[in-house]
Amino acid sequence: MVHLANRSEAQEVVDDQNGPHPNTPRMDGVKPGRSGKIVSGTMRTQKVIKFSKVSKRFILHHERPRSFQDMVVNLFGLRTPSRRGVPLPEPANQEFWALRDINFSIYAGEAVGIIGENGSGKSTSLKLMSKILEPNSGGVSVKGKVSALLELGTGFHPELTGRENIFLNGSLLGLSRKEMASRYDTIVDFAEIRDFIDTPIKHYSSGMVMRLGFAVAINVDPDILLTDEVLAVGDEAFQRKCLDYISTLRRRGVTIIFVSHALDAVRSLCRRVIWLDHGRLIADGPAGEVIDRYLAYENEKHAERLMAEHESRPANMPALPTARVAPDEEMSAGNGAEPDMGPHDAEEPSFTGAASGHAPGEVQITGVTFHDEEGRQAGVFYTERPIAIRIHYAARQRVENPVFGLALYTENGTQLNGPNTRFAGYSIPAIEGTGNVDYTIDSLPLLAGRYYVTVALTGSEMTDMLDHKHLVDSFIVQPTPGLAERAGLVYIPSHWSFHPE
Amino acid sequence: MRVCFYFFFQAYDLLARARQSILYRDLLYNLVVRDLKVRYKHSFLGFFWSLLNPLLLMAVFTYVFTNIFKNGDYPMFHIFFLSALLPWNWCASSVTGTLGSIVNSGYLIKKVYFPRELLPFAVVISNMINYVLSLPALFFFMFLFRVPEAGDIFSPNCHHACINEHIVWLPLLIVTQVMFLVGLGFFLAALNVFFRDTSVLVEVGLQAWFFLTPIIYSVEVLKIEYPQLLYYLNPMASIVTIYRNIFYFNDANSPDPAFMLRTFIECGIILALGYLFFMRLSRTFGEEI
Repeated sequence: MVHLANRSEAQEVVDDQNGPHPNTPRMDGVKPGRSGKIVSGTMRTQKVIKFSKVSKRFILHHERPRSFQDMVVNLFGLRTPSRRGVPLPEPANQEFWALRDINFSIYAGEAVGIIGENGSGKSTSLKLMSKILEPNSGGVSVKGKVSALLELGTGFHPELTGRENIFLNGSLLGLSRKEMASRYDTIVDFAEIRDFIDTPIKHYSSGMVMRLGFAVAINVDPDILLTDEVLAVGDEAFQRKCLDYISTLRRRGVTIIFVSHALDAVRSLCRRVIWLDHGRLIADGPAGEVIDRYLAYENEKHAERLMAEHESRPANMPALPTARVAPDEEMSAGNGAEPDMGPHDAEEPSFTGAASGHAPGEVQITGVTFHDEEGRQAGVFYTERPIAIRIHYAARQRVENPVFGLALYTENGTQLNGPNTRFAGYSIPAIEGTGNVDYTIDSLPLLAGRYYVTVALTGSEMTDMLDHKHLVDSFIVQPTPGLAERAGLVYIPSHWSFHPE
Repeated sequence: MRVCFYFFFQAYDLLARARQSILYRDLLYNLVVRDLKVRYKHSFLGFFWSLLNPLLLMAVFTYVFTNIFKNGDYPMFHIFFLSALLPWNWCASSVTGTLGSIVNSGYLIKKVYFPRELLPFAVVISNMINYVLSLPALFFFMFLFRVPEAGDIFSPNCHHACINEHIVWLPLLIVTQVMFLVGLGFFLAALNVFFRDTSVLVEVGLQAWFFLTPIIYSVEVLKIEYPQLLYYLNPMASIVTIYRNIFYFNDANSPDPAFMLRTFIECGIILALGYLFFMRLSRTFGEEI
């Protein structure tokens, strides 16, 4: 299953090599507003989805005019009543264009990813495709049976059993009872809930509900499958299973529209990617190319943000809270030491015991920065090149033998590793004041994508968590020029050999 | 001329939409079954309640009207009252049900596309099934507590609360009431999406409507100058009167075919207008809920 998908991906990579390759993080034509359209030369058959000059506007009601009173007020053109002569601010109904003049066609059997930041119009375009919303202008035409995985388990009634819900949900997707009856066993097997099928849904675990929802949605034989961030939930094994099944459907010729922030999943599933930004179409073309351009753009924005932060902060590091003196004095008094003792001597009476010696916030991780081989702070790195993750700490209190640790995560939330100084046999005698600890990877084995970092600081025994910041920051990995491997998460240095008998 | 064309296209549009909904007839079935199943889900007797509940309700009224408040004008007053109350109950529960049918299904409307008109339709149908299931209990009480002046129940010279050939009107009348309630339900369900005050107003309105409908009285008693006006403005008055002509008044006042036809056409117009209104508004349901 998976290797087949990878083979077609490899084919795509060859195609990509001929096209322009984003070697530099800075790309022209990537800025929103200029839409570069890359037309790939694959064989096209029948148009199944066509957006022509589609615009969708939402009106953000601050005060929703949802009552007859408001209606009457609007009817007679009356203003909102004023209080004590001061006119109340008019309820501002802001317009918000979720999509603007979007044109694209999707052909039968294509797998198209839609990417973009939050609020870029991805979900709106899916809802237009599924006829949940209608455009304000332009035309949306969709041919064939659409099954939308907008939210798993939608339409399940908690009081009804799994069996009853399968039929109810199937008919919501437009299937007759007879058609559902013939798919019933497949659905139950896929969802792995045969033992609970006659139990009301409300007694199911959320995982079971999701599995059942997914199983129903994919088994209605859609011509077009719309998925919106479906795989953001559920355990890993289930995510894998869903992705595999979507790949199977793709090979069967089902048109798939895949909206996700998980760029690695988009890359492995889709040949073509549409990039939306603030309701406009920025790029539409081969998956690898568009995703790389998107990452480059994201990266540029990230760098600009870093610069802005850097400028707004005179010192590179956030300063320690100024109250350094006061708590130490109190503490020394509490310890029964000489009251005149200066703050610098305060370390003397304590190391009061392993775990409870540190009040929360006394010792903290103040930030994480990423640095390239020359020590420059950066947000984008390349496969097989070095990266240093710098953990900045501020210890108002002395900590003996601290242990620093971190963990890298993919966008899906899969943990990649979890090293710490103690496991590495690297001992830090003590920390006090501010400083930083570098975790350096000499050759980054990660492929293109965004990776998140979690950091932790514990005492010597690793049982007392002094600070823990989950998914505190992220960095982007871009493909190194010349490295052809694209599929999956990691680059494993390896070689092939051929031995005919 | 242009108006003619407009209506022609509207009608065409309407039929195309209705045809598409037929493809989803199993959804209607499932929605109705869901409504019926969920109603008595946790009770010990389960679905049997659908039969028992009206029986108990009618037992109360029968006791009250035969032993406590005897009405000399109408022999077997309990049948006079129940023959009108049962369709009214169907109407009242449909109105409250359809009113919330779209708003309460926001979780579906925002996530799946299906013909939205099936939601209010299913409410009316499941309430209709409850009405039909209450009919055996009604027949049961027509046998009980009979008085001599009403006549024998099956005999040709039966005056009140008889079972005779007029019962063939019942299916057509039920269809008429479905048309009316669905049409009204379309208006209310769609309106409630945009103005949530609708539900509060309807609560009060239902109380008034109950007294404007000949349930505890008959229209003749009112001695109003134009009784026709009440029938035109309140289709439920017409419908309830026909029910009563089928189940209670069985002499000269048997259902009048012209009256029946007029009611049917009126309810058909209400259905068509309600559907048009609903279609117009349903386009923005996805974002308004």
